[in-house]
Amino acid sequence: MTDLLTLTDLVVDIPHRRGTLRAIDGVSLSIARGEVLGLVGESGAGKSMIGNAVIGLLARPAHVAGGEIWLGDRRIDRLAPHQMRQLRGRRIGMIFQDPQTSLNPLMRIGDQLVETIRLHRPMPAAGARTEAIRLLDEVGIPAPEERMAYWPHQFSGGQRQRIVIALALAGEPELIIADEPTTALDVSVQAQIIRLLKRLCADRGVAVMLITHDMGVIAETADRVCVLYAGRVAETGPVTEVLSRPRHPYTVGLMDAIPSLDPARGEPGVATLRQIPGAMPSIAARPSGCAFHPRCASATPDCARVRPDPRPAGRSEVACPVCAPTHEDAAS
Amino acid sequence: MKHSTPTTTVAPVLSVEGLSRDFNIPVPFLRRLVPGRPRPVFRAVTDVSFEIPRGQTYALVGESGSGKSTIARMVVGLTRPTAGVVRIAGHDLFAPDARGTRQAMRRRIQMVFQDPQASLNPRWRVEAIVGEPIRAFGLASGRALAARVAGHLETVGLSAADARKYPHEFSGGQRQRIAIARALASEPEFIVCDEPTSALDVSVQAQVLNLLRTLQSDLGLTYLFISHDLAVVRHMAQRVGVLQRGILVEEADTKTFFEGPKAEYSQMLLSAVPKIRKGTDE
Repeated sequence: MTDLLTLTDLVVDIPHRRGTLRAIDGVSLSIARGEVLGLVGESGAGKSMIGNAVIGLLARPAHVAGGEIWLGDRRIDRLAPHQMRQLRGRRIGMIFQDPQTSLNPLMRIGDQLVETIRLHRPMPAAGARTEAIRLLDEVGIPAPEERMAYWPHQFSGGQRQRIVIALALAGEPELIIADEPTTALDVSVQAQIIRLLKRLCADRGVAVMLITHDMGVIAETADRVCVLYAGRVAETGPVTEVLSRPRHPYTVGLMDAIPSLDPARGEPGVATLRQIPGAMPSIAARPSGCAFHPRCASATPDCARVRPDPRPAGRSEVACPVCAPTHEDAAS
Repeated sequence: MKHSTPTTTVAPVLSVEGLSRDFNIPVPFLRRLVPGRPRPVFRAVTDVSFEIPRGQTYALVGESGSGKSTIARMVVGLTRPTAGVVRIAGHDLFAPDARGTRQAMRRRIQMVFQDPQASLNPRWRVEAIVGEPIRAFGLASGRALAARVAGHLETVGLSAADARKYPHEFSGGQRQRIAIARALASEPEFIVCDEPTSALDVSVQAQVLNLLRTLQSDLGLTYLFISHDLAVVRHMAQRVGVLQRGILVEEADTKTFFEGPKAEYSQMLLSAVPKIRKGTDE
């Protein structure tokens, strides 16, 4: 498997009246073709910031201040706006949280699809129309030919998200960035959208960066997961490994804090949830060293001084010298 | 026909009988002029009955549009039911001659909303927000009021000094704590929690859920807990009611419900929840 998207030491800064805030602080990750990488974290972890950095849509004054972003063999973090615009939609598709706001309410969905298809793949209108119908069919809209003439408000939330996915596929992208694609949907609809994303990923060999705060969605969808905390990677590895054997104290705490349907997790209505004390630090007041140390039960004095980098531990990589000591550390 | 004599010693804190609520559907202007047509109505809640015994948590679950929040609003007296009775500790909340009782009931019922960003006045200090119910019901004034506010803030895990701050100075979880302190301020017996943790991150959600549980056992509170998250419901409630398009399709003890839901809709809801496989290998 070759990596389609590679980020190395990505740094995103937000200049500010009194200095600079570092939103993303040295994040490295990669996604292979046909793979779903889940990017999880709580609010303020920087997960959407990473997605926006990849597609070149960081809201000013935030900007990429260091590191590299590679799409295949092309470096894309230094592209001019017009070059970036050619990639966006064509090689990288996007799906956002709220389908209500990503569709134009004043355009029939058929016209939106045809416009997007022809923008990326020059072809006659009739061909684009056939292609639009095929896309609607692919994402599971019933009677697609008839629906071409419908307005966005005539669809339910789940169907609208399917149409947004069809739009994202219109340019035949190699990478799709899905930022909280199911957060605005009911669970039963969420399950359908998850199935759809997985099917597309398998059928088309598209790489997907799935940004979410929901570990359940990650567990059902992703192949690998990358847990973010305060703009850094805390832990990354195969989903089964990270969820069944979390190593970083933050991941462990996060998994324990999620209420579960599993009967093994105590009597209903009786067991107390385990909680992590405190909250994610704000970007303006990130602690020194490991940003998690003030909330961490196994923190040592070193944790406040030394900023840990992810190191291999089992099949994962973990940024915690206490919980995932390397062999050298263990020997010394 | 049940009689409505208040028997406070045995009456459940909340009892709801045959509750329904219709909403008018807007009609296109010209068609409104056509005579002889009944106004179309949308029945958001249809004939819902349940009870909550003192000190217990009853959860209402369902997807968007199932009528959860409409029931919550009727139970606290914000929306008038089209049909049916809401009784708080045996008193009919909407009885025509019940103005006095309704006023008295208001103190005993409180609500915690989903989004603390929207439910707290951004221009009020925390002391004013938490102090308002105390002042409104004439429970205390002056120094005693300030002391009560400080006490409630400490109960929810904030400090007395936080009373001088504004809502924006707090994180989302802390703001929800302020909303809970405000709900506690009128010393209610019954609190309706409408998606109280849906806007919060998981690590913070655990803190707020645990706080609600502690308060319940310390103060003997009764909760109507509204949520779309079945795992949260399993954790919080003793009894569960499942709403589908305004109809209570299933009602059961939490344990029985999660061991094997009867209604087809409940089974579908439960199977749609993403499962996190833990402690097992691939």
